[in-house]
Amino acid sequence: MATALQPSTITAATDRPVIAELCNITKTYTVAGGRELKVLDQIDLAVHEGELLALLGQSGSGKSTLLRCLTGLTKPTSGRVTAYGKNLDGINKYAAIVFQTFALYPWLTVEQNVAVGLMAKSLTRSEREHAVEKAIELIGLNNYHEAYPREISGGMRQRVGIARALVAEPKILCLDEAFSALDVLTAENLRTEMITLWREQATSLKSIFMVTHNIEEAVQMATRICILFPHPGRLGLVLNNSLPYPRSASDPEFQRLMKVIHETITMLALPDHPPEPPVSGRPVSRARTRMESIPTVPVSQMLGLLSILRDDPELENIYDISNEIGKDFGDTISLVKAAEILEFVETPKDEVRFTELGKKFIDGDSDLRKEIFAEQVKKLRLFHIILVYLEVQEEVDEETVMKDISTALPYENPERILKTMIAWGRYAGLMDYDANTNMVTRPEAKEEEEEQEVSS
Amino acid sequence: MKLPSIQLEAAEIRRTFTWVDFVVLVGVFGFSWTVLHFGKGMIVHFDENQSPAISTNILNIPYYAGRTVLRMWIAFGFSLLFTFGVGYAAAKSRVARSIILPALDILQSVPVLGFLSITVTGFMALFPGSLLGVECASIFAIFTGQVWNMTFGFYHSLVTIPKDLQEAATNFRLSRWQRFGTLEVPSSMHSLIWNSMMSFGGGWFFVAQSEAITVLNKNIKLPGLGSYMATAVEKGDNTAAICAILTMLAVIIASDQLVWRPLLAWADKFKMELIESGEAPQSWLYNFLRRAYIFPWIEEHIFYPISDGLTQLKRGIKLFEAVPQRSRNLLGRIVSGLVGGLIALWIGFEVVLGIVAAIDTVYNHVALAQFTRLFFLGLLTMGRVVLMTILATLIWTPIGVWIGFKPRIARVAQPLAQIAASFPVNMTFPFMVGFFVASHLGINWGSIILIAMGTQWYILFNVIAGAMAIPNDLKEAAQTYGLGGWALWRTLILPAIFPFWVTGACTAAGGAWNASIVAELATWGSTTLKADGLGAYIAEVTQKGDTPMIICSIAVMCVFVVITNKLIWRRLYDYAEKRFHLD
Repeated sequence: MATALQPSTITAATDRPVIAELCNITKTYTVAGGRELKVLDQIDLAVHEGELLALLGQSGSGKSTLLRCLTGLTKPTSGRVTAYGKNLDGINKYAAIVFQTFALYPWLTVEQNVAVGLMAKSLTRSEREHAVEKAIELIGLNNYHEAYPREISGGMRQRVGIARALVAEPKILCLDEAFSALDVLTAENLRTEMITLWREQATSLKSIFMVTHNIEEAVQMATRICILFPHPGRLGLVLNNSLPYPRSASDPEFQRLMKVIHETITMLALPDHPPEPPVSGRPVSRARTRMESIPTVPVSQMLGLLSILRDDPELENIYDISNEIGKDFGDTISLVKAAEILEFVETPKDEVRFTELGKKFIDGDSDLRKEIFAEQVKKLRLFHIILVYLEVQEEVDEETVMKDISTALPYENPERILKTMIAWGRYAGLMDYDANTNMVTRPEAKEEEEEQEVSS
Repeated sequence: MKLPSIQLEAAEIRRTFTWVDFVVLVGVFGFSWTVLHFGKGMIVHFDENQSPAISTNILNIPYYAGRTVLRMWIAFGFSLLFTFGVGYAAAKSRVARSIILPALDILQSVPVLGFLSITVTGFMALFPGSLLGVECASIFAIFTGQVWNMTFGFYHSLVTIPKDLQEAATNFRLSRWQRFGTLEVPSSMHSLIWNSMMSFGGGWFFVAQSEAITVLNKNIKLPGLGSYMATAVEKGDNTAAICAILTMLAVIIASDQLVWRPLLAWADKFKMELIESGEAPQSWLYNFLRRAYIFPWIEEHIFYPISDGLTQLKRGIKLFEAVPQRSRNLLGRIVSGLVGGLIALWIGFEVVLGIVAAIDTVYNHVALAQFTRLFFLGLLTMGRVVLMTILATLIWTPIGVWIGFKPRIARVAQPLAQIAASFPVNMTFPFMVGFFVASHLGINWGSIILIAMGTQWYILFNVIAGAMAIPNDLKEAAQTYGLGGWALWRTLILPAIFPFWVTGACTAAGGAWNASIVAELATWGSTTLKADGLGAYIAEVTQKGDTPMIICSIAVMCVFVVITNKLIWRRLYDYAEKRFHLD
């Protein structure tokens, strides 16, 4: 399903010494049902001195795992991590993390939280106070020394997180979605300050390694952008970004980079498949032959997207849609993809167009919608896993289904897929789920329901 | 919402010593002297044939109360050490966990009082000719009564520390000690204090019981409030008995006010949530202590110089450090693994030895028919426990919900219910026996009341907590749709309080098994009432010192408790967790 994309050859900015490097890293986790799920597959990535490297990927693409491998928080299943040429054993002492959730200790004051970054060093009290004071001043936390995290705003909390990381004198600052829990303005402000901090070289800091799902953030900040393709996580595209700071979103080169990234992700998620050729000898079935995964999106959001598209026929381009519905690009792609595999929309290139069926579906009343939805869901091979069971028996064990899913789709998280399948199946009236027994069941008393509907 | 405490650079207030510090110092020295004074009494000579006489003079009550309180705190200290050690091991090592968790589960269900006779003889043999042996047995009884749920609580908070906080500690390379002090203890502080408070409250029951026991036909009395009470009852001295009860109440309230409330107020900052929550618990003592300058002074002039000195020392040592970090880690791991393995082996050996000895004793002395009898008695006692739980639920659920819906009343009623639960009702049993005799109520039914007196409170205050936790929007929604009467109970109240009720009823039922040992065989002066039940049987064989039967009867009770836990409470817990969990 993946369209092969040759990574552009890495050139400039990478001649400088390597601080930390991942060599042929693979990481697998054990998921529900004891199956192995591969989240990272043969990753080679190096962070050089003086660069601001952004790792871009959708949620679930394994980018946080990659960051944890680089910092030594997680051991890769196979492959090698090095720090300044030496094999990493335990924690990478050249790297400090700034967490998405801030990860501050609620019982410590701002000052004490910052001092946590110094604990690994044996310092006297005055040395420690001096270092903390310096970091607090540098990051603009003056007058907040004695405040507790719960008393200050999200932006200020993240500043504490940054000060705590800087005080440890790292070579690389690892930002793990550090701005995504903040409001737009605060995040923008902090981003600019981070760039300044890195460029001024006022601290021990040489490089920043940031993990994000925000494309604009990556283009705005990074000197090199790596895109992580999901299921399993592989490095797909590496882009150099030599735009001078401060960068403006209206700069043509800025926009070109945005476009390249958008296109890459769109091509990957919504490839323009040729129609499936009929295979002779196969019994005529309405199901597709290809086993295809489904995006884990709720039905209601899909309906919302289709309504918006219906109400605004001008809205065709997927980037415009993303802006219109105020969702980040990856989420929008998932929604469109869900509508596409149900044949409600077509996606030639980066356009989204209604199909006849899609129009009929969104204009229909709730019964018609349900009927069409059920028809379309029945075409998906994935759903046959459950439907086949339910044909012969009343209910089927969740574990059994999950095992089958992970056999069919080895790189997906079966739990999340099953949850979405049940949600879709419920909407379509094809199945139900009993949370007490963990059983996927036939929908309850279908005839009765229909009778009621007829009589009402 | 509080405003961020903004510091003004110029206006740093210079703090000095005040009268508050004087009071604190006097308090500390007075306290230390008292501890030493009472502690001295613990190691006096003891002859088991001539147990020290307990005077019923009311003027002696403060001394006896002091001894009892000291016993409680020593036991609590050991419980805390055990909690940190075992809870930590269970959370950190998979091997340790696979042994510790099931063991705790069983130990939690064991009726502690049944073991008194065995532990008393054991500890007396350990410290021959000294009162310390009996003291240890009493302390051990309290310890076993309170330690398990503290350990479980600590383990549970350790394994539920949010992942990002753990990763931050790992990323900044905190040492084990730093991690323990900065992350692990603070994040479990809140549950630790609550569990300690509950366990400590439960401890009064055991201290009162273990101070005056009849083992191997010998009356052993430790100086303390419980034995004072027992003596007063023996002599029929009503005034002394009532004074003892009042003192007990005063002591319980004092521990609440002087220790637990201040601790709760202090621990408020250890709550996990990052949002400012409603009301912080208040304590007058905590507010007072915060005004003392002596603590910051000690930190500044004693603690910091010492820690700086240690840092310098460490640096000095580091210069000579030849062993590279990695091999030292490996060495440390081997050493700790060896030590852990040896300890585990030793404990396992002792356990096996104990079991072999027990089986040997039992095998030669007990007939199979006796087991049938024990089992029948167990069923009787179980019937009492079940009846108690049902009755207490029927009575206290409506009252608890009513209280819980009225926050102002709840704020007063909840601590009161906690104090009632702490009070060792076994002290009042003799009076009840007098009442039963007077009203011709048979002990077979009366013992249900005796059992309920101690354990019903757990149901009450859990139901109150549950009713208080129902979110306002759910109540408002119910109002909007005009839900009332039974419909309101069925759709909102009962489902919402169910998880809390399960916790309360499970604790109450567990306590009831223990209480049955005391409640089914009660004495008032020369009158002794004995019910048919396993509890009475255990009490009887304990007094007689019939070791094989003690072992058998306790084993049967353990089996009953473990089976009901597994078959009923565990399932109810899971069900409640799944179906009725708010948020």
